[in-house]
Amino acid sequence: MTGLHFDIGRVLLLVCFGIVPLVGIILGFFAPSLRRQLPLIVAFVAGIVPILSLYIPKAFLSAPGQGMSPRLDQYLIIVAGFALPLGVVNVIQLNTRKVGRGEKGWFFSLVLLIGLFVMGSFGVYGAFSGTGIGFLPNGAPTPFQWMTDWLFQPLQSTIFSLLAFFMASAAFRAFRARNVEATILLVAGVLVMAGRVPLFDLLAYPFPPLKPAAASLTQTMGHLTEWIMDGPNSAAQAGIIIGSALGAMAMAIRVILGIERSYLGLGKGD
Amino acid sequence: MSLIDRLFSVDRRWIFLFVMLAVAVPILFPLGLPVTTTGSTRAAFEYIESLHAGDIVWLSYDYGPSSAPENDPMAEAFLRHCFVKDVRVVMCALYPLGGLSLMNASAARVAREFPEKKYGTDYVNLGYKDGPEAVMRRLGENIADAFPTDVNGTPIEGMPIFQGIRTIGQFKVVFTVATGLIGEYWITLVNAQFGTPVIIGPTAVSAPKYYAFLNSGQLKGMLGGMKGAAEYEQLLARAYPAMSEFYHRTRLFTGTKGMDAQTGIHAVIVGFIFLGNVAFLLARRREGRA
Repeated sequence: MTGLHFDIGRVLLLVCFGIVPLVGIILGFFAPSLRRQLPLIVAFVAGIVPILSLYIPKAFLSAPGQGMSPRLDQYLIIVAGFALPLGVVNVIQLNTRKVGRGEKGWFFSLVLLIGLFVMGSFGVYGAFSGTGIGFLPNGAPTPFQWMTDWLFQPLQSTIFSLLAFFMASAAFRAFRARNVEATILLVAGVLVMAGRVPLFDLLAYPFPPLKPAAASLTQTMGHLTEWIMDGPNSAAQAGIIIGSALGAMAMAIRVILGIERSYLGLGKGD
Repeated sequence: MSLIDRLFSVDRRWIFLFVMLAVAVPILFPLGLPVTTTGSTRAAFEYIESLHAGDIVWLSYDYGPSSAPENDPMAEAFLRHCFVKDVRVVMCALYPLGGLSLMNASAARVAREFPEKKYGTDYVNLGYKDGPEAVMRRLGENIADAFPTDVNGTPIEGMPIFQGIRTIGQFKVVFTVATGLIGEYWITLVNAQFGTPVIIGPTAVSAPKYYAFLNSGQLKGMLGGMKGAAEYEQLLARAYPAMSEFYHRTRLFTGTKGMDAQTGIHAVIVGFIFLGNVAFLLARRREGRA
């Protein structure tokens, strides 16, 4: 029986993710309306199988490693892997066009492309040569790891740390007690900012006799901050999380049932 | 020009200068400000403390270089804690933009501090895999399906660390050091479906969201931002004299060191908010009189 169930699941997946797309591509040349219909069938099966596998304890649906749902999980890893090269192709297309036409900012696109190809080449070399992209057996970094440590990581950190400058400037200009709601937000924000760090210890640093009082104030502010985070913040976050989860469920149902079709990327007339 | 007008029209480059000084000065001249601990970090620390030698835990590097100054100290403090307690660690990276390289560097750094730890027996680096939700679901059935080999291409099935271990459900805890949504996936997929306890180390920006999961019992503990990392380092140093000695010798507890700079920048921002509001209230009063 297990073998039979195994086969049913496999055949269904083969039909849905092998034959249906293939037939869809072939027929799509002759019957353009199928370009819209067949992907909906694939999306329906891909969406409904994991849900059914949770509620229907049948081997062909949920048997570890062999059922349709676990197999779909494996397909997802493969599809996600293909998404990365697609992103790379998109970046190359966009930026080569910009460089070729000499559009505004073409030089930055050129730098981006050089970075992509140089780092990508070291990555591909590491994968095929067997040295990997981390560290060599003698502890020395591979060229990819070296570029990560000395170029990619500092550059990313620099870009992110610029936020501190803009946040300080924006806080000074925009964080104002204009009305009751803004005042509540302002007070809570300042309390949390002050309570998450030893602010009073810093202020008392040049005045040693004040240090015990500063430590006590820091403790009090810490407790107040924890209360804000544990109480009002946690309650609001729970509401947001539940709301967004319900929204995601509604969207998933719309996609599974074919009501939401924007993901197909079809333009008007398709 | 009146004082209020001057405050309103302050050149933002002055603000930038203050920010730079507030960060740079404490880094160049460390102040050693005290770090108080919070309940969520203590809960995480005590949970790891309750584990026994030989237990196995999962450490996931789910962040990139942009948040590494916050997240690196968490991952490394956790790794040190596990190594000092002889808890076995399986590491992976699920963040696409540099997660793997950060993990390689971080794991190598901490492993050098514990030369007696054997790769493949006491810890293993499984490398990066794309598609975090699918990977987590596969981990619930068979780890080797998601990660057939480690980062060096060695099949994991023959490794001593995986003897008797097949699924994520057999792990004592997952510690996800996360930026973005991947941390949430560990809670909603792995904890909810396979029952593995989860501890999270999010960036300070993401931390507020996870308080809801902490209160619902879906998280065992949380290290919120650099402060959380610094707290964990302090707890580690207090509980293990060897770790305390290591810190004083090497100054490698980067969360604790970073707290001086973070306090400086918070002081500057709070100061500017205060100034901005004083100017705003004075201007409003002036308008009221007019």
